[in-house]
Amino acid sequence: MSTARNIPNDRGLSLRMFTTGLMLVLLYGAVIGLLIAVGISYAIVLVFAAGLLFVQYWFSDKIALYGMGGRLVTPEQAPQLHGAIDRLCAMADMKKPRVAIADTDVPNAFATGRSPNNAVVCATTGLIRRLDEPELEAVLAHELSHVAHRDVAVMTIASFLGMVAGMVTRMMLWTGMMGGFGGGNNNGNNNQGGDNAALVELAVLVVSVVVYAISFLLTMALSRYRELAADRSGALLTGQPSVLASALVKVTGDIARIPSRDLRSTESFNAFYFTPAIAKSGVSISTIFSTHPSLDQRLAQLAALEAEMGRPS
Amino acid sequence: MGLFDSILGRTKPVQADLDNLFGLPSASITLQSAAAMACSGHAGVCYKPPTGQGFADNQTEVLSLLKMDTTSGVTSSEDSFGYHWLVMEDPDIEALVTQIHLVNSSLSDAGWGPQLLCSVFGLAHLPAGSPEDADREGATVGVGSVVPSTAYLVYLFKRGTFYPFVPTGHEQRSTEEELKLRSLVADDLSVEADLDRWFPLWDLPVP
Repeated sequence: MSTARNIPNDRGLSLRMFTTGLMLVLLYGAVIGLLIAVGISYAIVLVFAAGLLFVQYWFSDKIALYGMGGRLVTPEQAPQLHGAIDRLCAMADMKKPRVAIADTDVPNAFATGRSPNNAVVCATTGLIRRLDEPELEAVLAHELSHVAHRDVAVMTIASFLGMVAGMVTRMMLWTGMMGGFGGGNNNGNNNQGGDNAALVELAVLVVSVVVYAISFLLTMALSRYRELAADRSGALLTGQPSVLASALVKVTGDIARIPSRDLRSTESFNAFYFTPAIAKSGVSISTIFSTHPSLDQRLAQLAALEAEMGRPS
Repeated sequence: MGLFDSILGRTKPVQADLDNLFGLPSASITLQSAAAMACSGHAGVCYKPPTGQGFADNQTEVLSLLKMDTTSGVTSSEDSFGYHWLVMEDPDIEALVTQIHLVNSSLSDAGWGPQLLCSVFGLAHLPAGSPEDADREGATVGVGSVVPSTAYLVYLFKRGTFYPFVPTGHEQRSTEEELKLRSLVADDLSVEADLDRWFPLWDLPVP
């Protein structure tokens, strides 16, 4: 039988991703433990946040398509796009996702949908116009990798805690501003107990701010690793890492030139985008706040893959 | 591919499954008796050429192997999606299947299985009015000569399955004919059950 091509797994990438995930899980455990220790009054927040995220997850395809103004297209309407996706899916042995086109000049593409069975891959008209066919195919392979890696589910779960912490923080600040910390259940006849309650609530506030910050950083890190993983799988699928690299360079260069007002309106979908649609005003913004790895990092990975594949067997 | 690998973003390239190709000669016999169709003598292999000298070397090797067989012709071309096609010509279906298998197994043994997309076999109607002649010839399965194809059987490497493809004009296909063909060859070949995966191959370079 056939032997696997000599492309080893990127152990470093897997390890970093696993560590980040593990830290998120540990953080979850700590927070749930803390909630149980404090009392179950925050259970309602958990349920509410879970409900909200579930809706977002379940209808991710519709929400993202609606938000981006994407419309589903038939093979007759977009034969080239469908043909490329047909072939990539046949090579990767995966179910063909639905195909959509968004009418915007921002060159980008995204994949969404709660599972591979409900996935949608969407390319913008700006992307289709700017890239040549092999480059477009490389971008589609990257998006199909997101589908295969179940990135919508992973990132939804990963962002759950950050959302809860954010909600708790906001709730605490509101009640704190309106009634003073611990004011509600303090009857005045027991000063000692009132102070304790105030201390506990202050502690919850501090903890949730810290949790929010940590989980935000971890989620961003996880998102960057998953982008790198999608680059890698996409490049292996087409067998041409340098083509994806050239698509990245083209698209990134173009994005920087688009006026920023248009771009900001699309920021909320960045997590599933091919390249982030945020105009880089300065270079000093630290990459730890970014959902996407830097262009240099992505190009370096693709160059390493290219070198690996180019070795004569 | 396990769920764990996919959660960790570690999907592996899918290897090709070549074993089910050999059902083709018997399917051709069935088609000949049931629908007066047979192999047209054309077949092609489609793959995505990856970057690098390693693959280029293997491809040259395969081509020189194929050219050692002087009874059949080989041409290579590239389609509009950037996939490479090796198109072979031989009136004998057994020989065609062997050649296609030679290409596929050499490439996948060299580690290029993930790059293989599909193999395509051309079908054509037998010359009208002489089904008895075709029967009498018996020994050679097929039309006996190389003719243009009117229908195709597409072999998906990653699934190990066949599906029929009948183009009828510019980006048009006859679903009716395809479903008819499916029922005819279902006993001899493993047919792709998921109709979503019967993707069209417009402008096939296989004549």
